[in-house]
Amino acid sequence: MTAAARGGGVRAVRLPNGLVVLLREMRQAPVVSVWCWYRVGSRDERPGITGLSHWVEHMNFKGTRRIPKDDVIRRVELAGGTWNGYTWLDVTTYYETVQSDAFEEMLRLESSRMTECLYSTTEVEHERNVVISELQGGENDPRSFLEKEVTGTALQAHPYRWPTIGYLSDLKAITRDDLYGHYRRYYVPNNAILVAAGDFEAAAALRLVRRHFGGVRRGQEPPPVRTVEPPQSGERRLLVRRPSGAVYVDVAFHAPAAAEPDFAALLVTDGILAGGPTVNVWSGHDGRGPSKSSRLYRTLIEGNLAGQVSTLVLPSRHPYLYRIAMTANEGVDPARLEDVLTTEIDRLARGDIEARDLERAKNQFLARHALESESTTDFGHQLGFFETIASHRLFFDLPRRVLAVKAADVTAFARARLGRDRRTVGVLLPSAPPPAPAAAALPGAAVP
Amino acid sequence: MSSARQIRLDNDLVVIARPNRAARSVAVRLVLEAGAAFDPPGREGTAALVADLLDRGAGSLPGEAIASFFDDLGVAYAASARRDTTEIELRLLSRHLSGVLERVRLIAAEPTFPETEIRREKDQALTAIAERDQDTAAVAEMELHAALFPPGHPYHHPRLGTRDSVTRIDRPDLAAFHRARYRPGGTILSLAGDFDPARVFDLAARVFGSWATPAARGGTTAPPARVSIPDPPAPEKAVVVGRSIAGKTQADIALGFRGLRRLAPDLPSVLVLNSILGEFGLGGRLGKAIRDRAGLAYYAYSHFTAGLGAGPFAVRAGVAPDGVRRAIDLMRRTITQIVRRGVTPSELRDSRQALASSIPRRMETNPEAAAVLADAEFHGLGIDYPERLPGLIGKVTRNDVEDSARTYLTPDRSVLVVAGPAMEKEALS
Repeated sequence: MTAAARGGGVRAVRLPNGLVVLLREMRQAPVVSVWCWYRVGSRDERPGITGLSHWVEHMNFKGTRRIPKDDVIRRVELAGGTWNGYTWLDVTTYYETVQSDAFEEMLRLESSRMTECLYSTTEVEHERNVVISELQGGENDPRSFLEKEVTGTALQAHPYRWPTIGYLSDLKAITRDDLYGHYRRYYVPNNAILVAAGDFEAAAALRLVRRHFGGVRRGQEPPPVRTVEPPQSGERRLLVRRPSGAVYVDVAFHAPAAAEPDFAALLVTDGILAGGPTVNVWSGHDGRGPSKSSRLYRTLIEGNLAGQVSTLVLPSRHPYLYRIAMTANEGVDPARLEDVLTTEIDRLARGDIEARDLERAKNQFLARHALESESTTDFGHQLGFFETIASHRLFFDLPRRVLAVKAADVTAFARARLGRDRRTVGVLLPSAPPPAPAAAALPGAAVP
Repeated sequence: MSSARQIRLDNDLVVIARPNRAARSVAVRLVLEAGAAFDPPGREGTAALVADLLDRGAGSLPGEAIASFFDDLGVAYAASARRDTTEIELRLLSRHLSGVLERVRLIAAEPTFPETEIRREKDQALTAIAERDQDTAAVAEMELHAALFPPGHPYHHPRLGTRDSVTRIDRPDLAAFHRARYRPGGTILSLAGDFDPARVFDLAARVFGSWATPAARGGTTAPPARVSIPDPPAPEKAVVVGRSIAGKTQADIALGFRGLRRLAPDLPSVLVLNSILGEFGLGGRLGKAIRDRAGLAYYAYSHFTAGLGAGPFAVRAGVAPDGVRRAIDLMRRTITQIVRRGVTPSELRDSRQALASSIPRRMETNPEAAAVLADAEFHGLGIDYPERLPGLIGKVTRNDVEDSARTYLTPDRSVLVVAGPAMEKEALS
């Protein structure tokens, strides 16, 4: 053991092999949530191997030397558990929330997943089709399609610009060795964070973690991301035509990384525009849309211009995007949505912010921050997610940072980052008038 | 789980309180028998519009004042119409509970349905309907309901209605629906979180006690029985519906059967059957066949909706156009196998254990606990149902599961829907 620290009731330890361990006792229910995080995501890829990290995540459910494939999930479910994994820009993670008496079993599973997954050629080929199916399912949604196009236009150099799912051509070409090499390079204890939150005693839990992870050998340090996105010096625009039931507008601005000082100003800015943003990417995006007293709701929705508005503040290790997606009401010119957004940003930039706007945005953020980390699953997620992109202490420090934001900070943020010259605007127009679903007359089929 | 308690107010509103002192928050859920199943004929979508309009003006408060009140305190509010129920959900920091409950009562009991708000919500609903009609998963689900339930059945129409039906809805329709379906008798107010139950009961009685039912005003006080939704006739043969939607890269397949109602005695057995067929692990036997072995789909699973009436029991998958034929074959083969050859002892053991032991975890958070308890009470199962359910699941035998498979999984009386890119007719036949 090298260092231990406390913060937010969290026991934080780094094992000699570099594994960061974060433990938090939560006794509200007889359950424990175990999350194992790796600092690897689509940022660690390049054209030719896009989608690799996500596909590796899929492969890591396919059995290990000690755990047969069917048992990887079976053991979790027999413990009354729920499980999942996801891959995004900066992270790959796996979790199990189970009855607390199955805690050690889950540590055994994650330790095995870190070191000895199988990667049989047959499984790789099966999973190739599954991942391609996931890509195609996503492309069925015109909003996701537009979002991907806007991301690739707003970011020209940084590896955040390609989709985590990967490009189809890469998914067809990636080999078993590409996958296994990526797995071995990034799945080392010195690139991982093991989090547990729930019904246990922290000292005993730490002993169990040491038992199952202490013997895993440190690996080479994975290579850092070197590219920094060059400044944007002029608006970028794109028009996508695709069959769809509505017209969509997606606007992206360059956002600060989560640990940068003005990330708190972004949270408050988004709070004023759309209501308190979530910083829980796992469970916070509940489709609620903007709060009904927010400026974009009042102008776009109450103004009968848009049926839906959503914004995204994504805490990330490197600067990513702040985005605003709008669905135009029928017959509304998308340019009008853009105009309203511009007007609202101009208001912020000239300091048209009342004390109540600020207070409301802060209260909403503080409530969400508390509500969205109450369960063992959410708490475990937030600890690990923030540790992966910055530090778990940042998560606990965000309320203080947000409370310190002044109106002038929001104004400065809007001026510096939300100007026309720094935005990318994507518009998706239906490629043909949306046809009513047509019944196919099928041989021998009765269509009621 | 055993800490939940309930009272019935004089107006027959049931209040459930489940304290959780480990949290600083409270989850509130108001469940009304006012779902899309009760939409008037020709005015489908009414329940959904009413739910959307509840907080856009109530009592003497304009929508703006209600929104400001919630937003100032960071309260999360949502109301939505489901098939049987309309549910109002809130999450809040516990110190705000009293004021929030006052607003919830106002919203549920006295919405004003301002004309300008109605126009706006209708516009939004029409946009949502246009988007839905281009969404393969939504179209598959919608067509499944349309084919399994005959016209006029409460589950036949889509929850949001259609373009025509929503266009027809006006203010008197909304007010009449509210008058008929929003009443304290039979409504459940479920709270979970950081509070003292005795104080919460006092507060709920003070706030909601004055909500009068039309019946009470007429002098009758008997609590209303739940509406019984008739079972649809089972399809007479295997029905196939194809919906082609331009510009899609993947098709959604739904193979559906008439399912069961919530109070059906074989519900525990069907829970186990569904787990084995399309849930346990990565989607049960279906996931194993379609995703894991054939690599055809990112998702392949089964699910059933058991409500006031018998909802669908459906098998689902999303696959590329060239995999549709094979996926349908695998779905049918998996179902035939389970019907003809039954389930194995280890499958039975695994699914029973997984289902029974998952219940504490499914009620871990305040919103989950409030929802599970409200749902049990709504269906008359009682708030101890989550504690009894593991025992009921534990008693399910192989014979029970195999009987359920024969009862519900009837390929010759089923509906197959494929929604997605245009396909050759042979792919579906």
